[in-house]
Amino acid sequence: MEAGPLPGVGRPDPGPPVDPAVDPSVDPSVHLAGADRSAPVPPVLSPMLSRLAEERATGVLTRDRGVLYLVEGQVVHAESPATPGLDILLTSRGALGSDGWWEAVSEAGAERRVGRFLVDSGRLAAGALELCHLGALYDAAFFTLGASSGPARFRYGVAHWIGPVRPVTVGAVERETLRRRALLHRIWPDPDTDTAELVRTARAVDVVLPPRQRTVLDQVDGERTVSDISRVLGRPGFHTLVDVRRLAAAGIVTTRARTVECRAPETTAPPMSPAPSVSTVTAQAAQAAQASADPDVALLRRLRDALEAL
Amino acid sequence: MPGIDECLLEAMRLPGARGASVVDWTSGLALGTVGDSPNGDHEATAAEAAELARLAAEHKAFAPEEGADWSGGQPPVEDLIISNRDSYHVLRFVRTTFDSSVFLHLWLGRSDGNLALARIRLGEMAERLVVG
Repeated sequence: MEAGPLPGVGRPDPGPPVDPAVDPSVDPSVHLAGADRSAPVPPVLSPMLSRLAEERATGVLTRDRGVLYLVEGQVVHAESPATPGLDILLTSRGALGSDGWWEAVSEAGAERRVGRFLVDSGRLAAGALELCHLGALYDAAFFTLGASSGPARFRYGVAHWIGPVRPVTVGAVERETLRRRALLHRIWPDPDTDTAELVRTARAVDVVLPPRQRTVLDQVDGERTVSDISRVLGRPGFHTLVDVRRLAAAGIVTTRARTVECRAPETTAPPMSPAPSVSTVTAQAAQAAQASADPDVALLRRLRDALEAL
Repeated sequence: MPGIDECLLEAMRLPGARGASVVDWTSGLALGTVGDSPNGDHEATAAEAAELARLAAEHKAFAPEEGADWSGGQPPVEDLIISNRDSYHVLRFVRTTFDSSVFLHLWLGRSDGNLALARIRLGEMAERLVVG
């Protein structure tokens, strides 16, 4: 589901008027590039979010890649267009029928207790709802608090219709987001595959891929991005990010843009001087080599591929 | 119907239980924790346990003989058991009807813990957690 009010049901509380005192323009975010170079990781992702937690605010924080709902300074819900919402996660594998979901939304949406209704009406076990919702919350928060986010806004008094499930502290969400960035960086330091259209490289899959990675690879078609694949599979976006970084590290998947760039010298060789492409490839290879603290087999393979492509 | 907290509290009632958690093995996130953790930091323990769980889930060597059946995207491995001089760890994969990668982690004292009982109970808890 998209962020924002439910169509037809439970429009957001008018609540107290929007407080313009909260500076809407400045929410300097951490830029990952800085954090990569073994500099100590800054403890605060969003000063505005920390302030809202301190004042135990209730409402919705909107950044350009998603929203965080707070109740008394704790995060109760999060949504981001980069990752599937609870509805897709719950219905795509049959944990819940689509009818069951919409019935719950129309029955309990206005009272903002859809989560509770799903459990009380026997449609979903309490544990299943908590696991799925909590996973989705941290997942959407990861993208919402992404490094490239611009200005943030906070609207006081707005509540989400899913209702209370399992609130978590702002500190926990921020720590987890930073930990996830570091995890991705350890797997493969190049973030290009996180958002671009993905293609398979010419490299044959010479190892038995873990089934979850194989499922992701099967969806790579030159058009889909990580977020498209997550939606198709009904899988949290971060999970797909992890698998795609692993596939990129193994040299099996890359971005479409990069393939075009690398093939350019072969197809349209003479008119443009080949020199820039060659140096681009070399630079990429060198960059890849420098980017990882502990070169592993996958990295060496990528390096070899880049050199062979010269 | 039990939620995460009820499930963890039930695990803590097992003889010798020192700590328990629910962890996502793809991200290493602790979705819920109770009691102590071996290195005094539940989040770090979860990340380490997640690495181990992922390897066990993904490597064919640990799949049953008839092949790795990942129906519903869930691993064919049921649980992992680790023992050391003073404690046991039992990691139990939770099979959900939505896409997930979750396990229960129970840490037991070796002198007062009952590994066989804990393993059976943890399996039951993992099922009740998501089926109700």
